[in-house]
Amino acid sequence: MNEHEIEDVPGGRRTDRKGFVAGAVATVAAIGLGRFGAVDALAASEADAGELFYYNWADYVNPKTYPAFTKATGIKVKKDYYVSNEALLAKLKGGARGYDLIVPTGYMVSILSQEKLLQPIQWSKLPAVKANINPKFRHLPFDRNDRFSVAKDWGTTGYMYRTDLVKERPKTWREFVNLTKGKYSGKVTVLDGIPEVIGSMLVMLGYSYNTDNASQLDKAKQELIALKPHLRAITSTEYKQMLIAGKIVMALGWNGDGLAVAAKKPAAYVIPREGGEFWVDSYAIPVGAKNPDAAHKWINYVYGARNNAVETAYTYYGSPVRPALLRGVLAKSILGNPAIFPSATVLAKLQANQITARGTALRNRIWTEFKNA
Amino acid sequence: MSTPGGRRGHGGPRYPAWLALPALGWYAAFFLAPLGFVAAYSFAELSGFVGVDFAWNLENYRYLWDPVYRDIFVRTLGLASFGTAATLLAGFPFAYWLARYSRRRTLLLLLVIVPFWTSFLIRAYAWLIILDPSFPLFRALDVDLLYTTTAIYIGVVYNYLPLMVLPLYAALERIDWSLVEAAQDLGDGPLRAFRRVTLPLALPGVVAGSLLVFIPLTGEYLIPAILGGNKTAYTGTLIAQEFSEAHDWPLGSAIAMVVIGSMTVVLVAFSRIAARGEVANG
Repeated sequence: MNEHEIEDVPGGRRTDRKGFVAGAVATVAAIGLGRFGAVDALAASEADAGELFYYNWADYVNPKTYPAFTKATGIKVKKDYYVSNEALLAKLKGGARGYDLIVPTGYMVSILSQEKLLQPIQWSKLPAVKANINPKFRHLPFDRNDRFSVAKDWGTTGYMYRTDLVKERPKTWREFVNLTKGKYSGKVTVLDGIPEVIGSMLVMLGYSYNTDNASQLDKAKQELIALKPHLRAITSTEYKQMLIAGKIVMALGWNGDGLAVAAKKPAAYVIPREGGEFWVDSYAIPVGAKNPDAAHKWINYVYGARNNAVETAYTYYGSPVRPALLRGVLAKSILGNPAIFPSATVLAKLQANQITARGTALRNRIWTEFKNA
Repeated sequence: MSTPGGRRGHGGPRYPAWLALPALGWYAAFFLAPLGFVAAYSFAELSGFVGVDFAWNLENYRYLWDPVYRDIFVRTLGLASFGTAATLLAGFPFAYWLARYSRRRTLLLLLVIVPFWTSFLIRAYAWLIILDPSFPLFRALDVDLLYTTTAIYIGVVYNYLPLMVLPLYAALERIDWSLVEAAQDLGDGPLRAFRRVTLPLALPGVVAGSLLVFIPLTGEYLIPAILGGNKTAYTGTLIAQEFSEAHDWPLGSAIAMVVIGSMTVVLVAFSRIAARGEVANG
């Protein structure tokens, strides 16, 4: 059954892959199933069980998973994409309905639930999740009672660089900033994400990622304005391709994208010494969903250990499935990669987005000044 | 005393006014009502992450009275003015030649319109390939324009040129060239005849083309976002940021209202010029 073969295909959490054909390094093959007591998703083939309208970050699902899911459940998947949590919120708040499944980051789960834009998860429909989830990913701070969300995967926001084009071996945010302002001016991009970019500067300055102290934010703003003339672009969707093509040599971005670049060219992803952001993206079901049942089936399906390994090997983001269940179905090079599964000491330095409404308003103003600089 | 019946005087056919109702209804429902919403939001207040408290205060407008926003408005006006001037300079000679001398008008006009058959989004991404430093032309010149202001300006001229050429052509095509010949026969040199006869007759086309280019450019979003690497703020990108990333609909609405207000002023000024042109033409 070639369904059990898993390939490494460079992908990314939030980027479109424009014509870059998969590098396809086959790593794991045909390993026994259910050996570790994993409950795999039901494979009952139903004729036509309707449609799942999945609103997600671009390129955040292994393309193989869609047909496999349809085969297993009879449910066809319709797709739409958003570029940021904020854009997702704007869409739902603006009245868009009909999406069955979305993947907001933790802080956005909490905002969306406060805005009454989510409907409760029915855990009785999720036997594979209950059996396979790593307990660390239950009762997360943004959804203490697991009412509205189920973790999809997790990752970090740091930076990546081409090790063949950057001879230095930067380890900190300060080095990132100095190299950008110096030798590699014009060859660096940052995310088009307000909390991520401002937060990185705050952490570099020794402040909290989530601060809403105006004078600390002002110092971060000064750093950004000084950095601005040296940036090639502000983008969340193009930097992976630009790094692979060598048009830029360094980028502030997400770990999965860094590993996708490293799968094709000599590159490294850095979790800076000062710290940075740690995020969990979670499945959630928005109000107005036409087929919440299909959404539950999707979540349950991808929590099957094998199915989950297929996803992790594609996105390069950390899996919320118990590591013991992944051992054997997921390549050691992925399971043991500290950029995907950082050590507890590294994780301890990272912070999740918990920015207040006031902090958000202050950041918005800084972002306008940054773009105006 | 004013003449009853308006400037066209008596005697014209009287059209039943209800013929205007469908268009009127459409504009009321899909233009005036949304505009009303935007106006109402612009006086409201952001509460929490996405909440809106409707009020009647000028706080958002006062907030915009700030060097940062002034810079962005000035930059946008610069882009719109450049785009208008550049498309006029590039488009006028072409439209003139097309209207007066060309024998393949239909084909050439079709070619002017052909780009519209493809979504602008796709054409903008195509420009990313052309502007890439590894593209043969730019590699030979050893210049790298990708994600620069120059790239934005190139994209603007490319995208808006047809909007300038078509009204210019429409105006020039109606010109009775024997008038120009008469002026020359009566002693005007070619330049003088152009200035005194051709240009005034073409003025309505110049005004229409300039409006078609200038007004949308004040809200241009795609070109700075795609060709400019999304790193320079214009009013269009700023409004998008307020609505989509910052969820500050009240502030975004206030910016939109300021843009709409300034455009109304420009529109009135332009139509005055056009009216004077028409009077001059008799």
